[in-house]
Amino acid sequence: MPFLITDHWYDLRDLANLCNQVLSWLGDFLPHGLVYIIAPVIGFLFAFMLFTLPTQLYLGVLGERRLIGRVQSRLGPNRTGKFGVLQPIADALKLLTKEAFTPTKADRVVMYVAPILFVAPAVMLFAVIPFSHGMIIANVSASLLYFVAVSSLPVLATFMAGWSHNNKYSLFGAIRIVAMTISFEVPLVLALLGLALMMGTINLQDMVEFQRHFHIWMVVVEPLAFGIYFICVSAELNRTPTDIAEAESEIVAGYLTEYSGMKWGLFYGMDIAYAIAASCFAATVFFGGWSFFGLDHWVPPWIIFIAKVYAFYSLFIWTRATLPRLRSDQLMEFAWKYLLPLALFNIFIVATERMLWSKADFGRGWIYVFAVINIALFVAAIPIWARFIGYRPERTPTRARLVREAGGYVPLAPNAAQGDQR
Amino acid sequence: MSPVTSEPFVINIGPQHPSTHGVFRIKATVDGERIVDAESVMGYLHRSIEKLAEERTYTQNIPFTDRTDYLSSMANNLGYCLAVEQLAGIGVPARAQAIRVIMSELQRLASHCMAVGAFANDTGAWQTPMMWAFRDREKIMDIFEMCSGARLTCNYMRIGGVAFDPPAGTFEEAVREVIRIFPPLIDDRADVLVENEIFVARTRGIGVLTAEMAINSSLTGPMLRGSGVAWDIRKADPYCGYEQYDFEIPIGYQGDCFDRFIVRLEEMRQSVKIIEQALDGLPGGPYKTEVPLSLRPPAGEAYARVEGARGELGYYVISDEGPAPYRFHIRPPSFINLTALKEMTVGGTVADAIVVLGSVDIIVGEVDR
Amino acid sequence: MATRHISGEQMAAWAESLVPGSVARTDTFACYLKQDQLRETMAALRVSPESDLVYLVNLCGVDYWDHLEVVYHLHSLVKNHIGTFKVEVPDREKPSVQSVTSVWYGAWMQECEAYDMFGIQFEGHPNLKRILLWEGFPGWPLRKDFLSMPGGLQPGLNEFAGVSRRPEPPVRVVE
Repeated sequence: MPFLITDHWYDLRDLANLCNQVLSWLGDFLPHGLVYIIAPVIGFLFAFMLFTLPTQLYLGVLGERRLIGRVQSRLGPNRTGKFGVLQPIADALKLLTKEAFTPTKADRVVMYVAPILFVAPAVMLFAVIPFSHGMIIANVSASLLYFVAVSSLPVLATFMAGWSHNNKYSLFGAIRIVAMTISFEVPLVLALLGLALMMGTINLQDMVEFQRHFHIWMVVVEPLAFGIYFICVSAELNRTPTDIAEAESEIVAGYLTEYSGMKWGLFYGMDIAYAIAASCFAATVFFGGWSFFGLDHWVPPWIIFIAKVYAFYSLFIWTRATLPRLRSDQLMEFAWKYLLPLALFNIFIVATERMLWSKADFGRGWIYVFAVINIALFVAAIPIWARFIGYRPERTPTRARLVREAGGYVPLAPNAAQGDQR
Repeated sequence: MSPVTSEPFVINIGPQHPSTHGVFRIKATVDGERIVDAESVMGYLHRSIEKLAEERTYTQNIPFTDRTDYLSSMANNLGYCLAVEQLAGIGVPARAQAIRVIMSELQRLASHCMAVGAFANDTGAWQTPMMWAFRDREKIMDIFEMCSGARLTCNYMRIGGVAFDPPAGTFEEAVREVIRIFPPLIDDRADVLVENEIFVARTRGIGVLTAEMAINSSLTGPMLRGSGVAWDIRKADPYCGYEQYDFEIPIGYQGDCFDRFIVRLEEMRQSVKIIEQALDGLPGGPYKTEVPLSLRPPAGEAYARVEGARGELGYYVISDEGPAPYRFHIRPPSFINLTALKEMTVGGTVADAIVVLGSVDIIVGEVDR
Repeated sequence: MATRHISGEQMAAWAESLVPGSVARTDTFACYLKQDQLRETMAALRVSPESDLVYLVNLCGVDYWDHLEVVYHLHSLVKNHIGTFKVEVPDREKPSVQSVTSVWYGAWMQECEAYDMFGIQFEGHPNLKRILLWEGFPGWPLRKDFLSMPGGLQPGLNEFAGVSRRPEPPVRVVE
């Protein structure tokens, strides 16, 4: 079935038509170079201002706090405005009017530059996300690579932030974040490599077309890659269970200790923006992007895409509300010993499958067979590999031993450390 | 090119910190993330209670005992009243004893709720278990307010009994409600954490104390029982009629933070059992003995102890036949449980030190008095 | 089932049999030890199978006007008995007692507190310093001659405002 969305400028199912119309109208009387500059500005207005900023404010700030509140059996913010809808605006106003002081012995230049360096990649990441058939700001041919590269830049900014405060807690946070991010980027890139192998492309728009063509989402074709991606990207984003850089109950605020006012607000806001970018990326690559098995002919694809982003972001909120935090050396052990071999295993399997598929001239039914095999391998590989590296959950007791008489040490029975030991 | 060196630096965990359970400071010498040396610095909340108590009568000292371990005020009051009753030879009616037992066990439930919640908070679970624990605690706070007028610092025990008779009808209803809802709640809270791999990885094998070390360091309470030593004052030296109730003492396996956590959970379950038995057998009669306002016990000394939520809470009172005690000494469990802090934290990381401190479950009001 | 309180005479007998010459005098309630062999006596009492006083429950200081005292409550877990030992320190200018930290590690913080409050030096303590008050605090607060209130009031209660001068009723013991 041909794609029903037309090229008319009034076809709002693809807002790129409107943009192109505006740009060609401008190009009638403006020089070409100026139009070339205005195009990304319009793209920025659409993507960041119309989508990311409201999502960040309303899903990221208010939605997160209310959802976490519901998990904790309390209401979230509901005083400002009718259901707390003015809360993000109140937060922003508060942060703007706060005094942002810098400590005397801190490195002023670095401390000033770090938030700037943190914000810029967040904005740049939205340039390659396809919201619809024609709605990409910059259809870079290697957009996967661009995405991974740009998302490594914030690490530098957080390290600069932690270093410049002249505060031992901040230094702690900075050291931890560098160690952790480096450890988790390797399995992340390997998982995405497996994905690129299967789809045969590293262009995000082509990946969406691939999923639309075969009517399948990559999350069922490569569930192992999805699992690794989810864990690694929450580590990159400093979200619990891996938020050791800003572990509130240990090093108070880590690399954000001496920031106050809007500088802190920028870090906090861009934290959410990065999470939204990661959700957009996951929605594009794993969940089919703007396509939905044919529904995208009638419902505007960018609405489908935004719904998927919201669903994925809620997954982040859910894990944050419920899981405790791992220690930094445990995290790194997890990344290097567990995730990295699994990612390599994934690449091995995917490469084999792709080779077999190319021998069969890319017939259509093969990918469903691969999906079934991969799901089975996913379910099998996780516990087997965990036991291989020494995870023995049955050795943990669940209840304490009970005795009736007091007086002295009660030694353990020979088969100890089982639950309900008497 | 000079070789790259690294040197340990000193970091202060506290006194203003979300996880040190009060104003308490650990001066840790840290090499990377490993703690090389840890020194605990306390005294930020020292209010000279022992000195002030020498200038007030015996009954006027009861509110002081509330404020030492402010999360477990019923047990504090009880210990002091037992010491003075032992000094002066005052008997307590049976109804008062049963009410004292119910209040002590309710207080243990409340204090352990807070301890368990705050401990999970220290491991990083973004206040979710703490919020649930606080919600459960509210029901017990309501009972305390009903009987004594205050939620936290109750000032309810008097020398010779309790201060007020619990209101007829509503008290029994409220306590039955607590007995009904708490066991499934405890199981629910436990299920979230006990089998969670991240929680187990954070707490198992951390802060291990052998039984030998625990006994030598004069530890008491869940710290001692977590190391496998079956010692509980309610069984070893029963007071207020504890020998007539049927309950068990939970003990741990190897003395790490996880063991102390499951010991506290199990103690909560046993407390509910005791409350039920005490409430079923609550006798009628007077609720306190008539004691003069300025009591002058005969000269002598007494050491009485109760099993508080944190351990053995002892009161050493010396009387010289005056209206005020000659010496009033509190044997604080949190203070003495901190003796072993250095052993438990040195060699681990900063994150482990926080978890260990959470499992010791200190109350700084008691540490500093 | 309850903890037995060992009488002072019994404890004096144990202490004498283990380390002769360590007991200064005895009371029904407590046994007063001499200062010079304190650590030896405590170590012997801890390991002796008869007394088995493995557990130090409480260590505190008391100020009687002419001398200071250090009180030790010792406990046996297996045999479930508790006993009280005391050491009299006559010298108020430079009071000093042997430290029992090498016998019971739990004495560490309690001896620091006794030093902080009374000024008793514990010889052999690895790190004796003030823990509840700050370094450089003038004086020893829990001594009776350290006046906590300005105006020169004597410690102890002089009068209790609001109580009339009628005689107090006797205490009725209810069983």
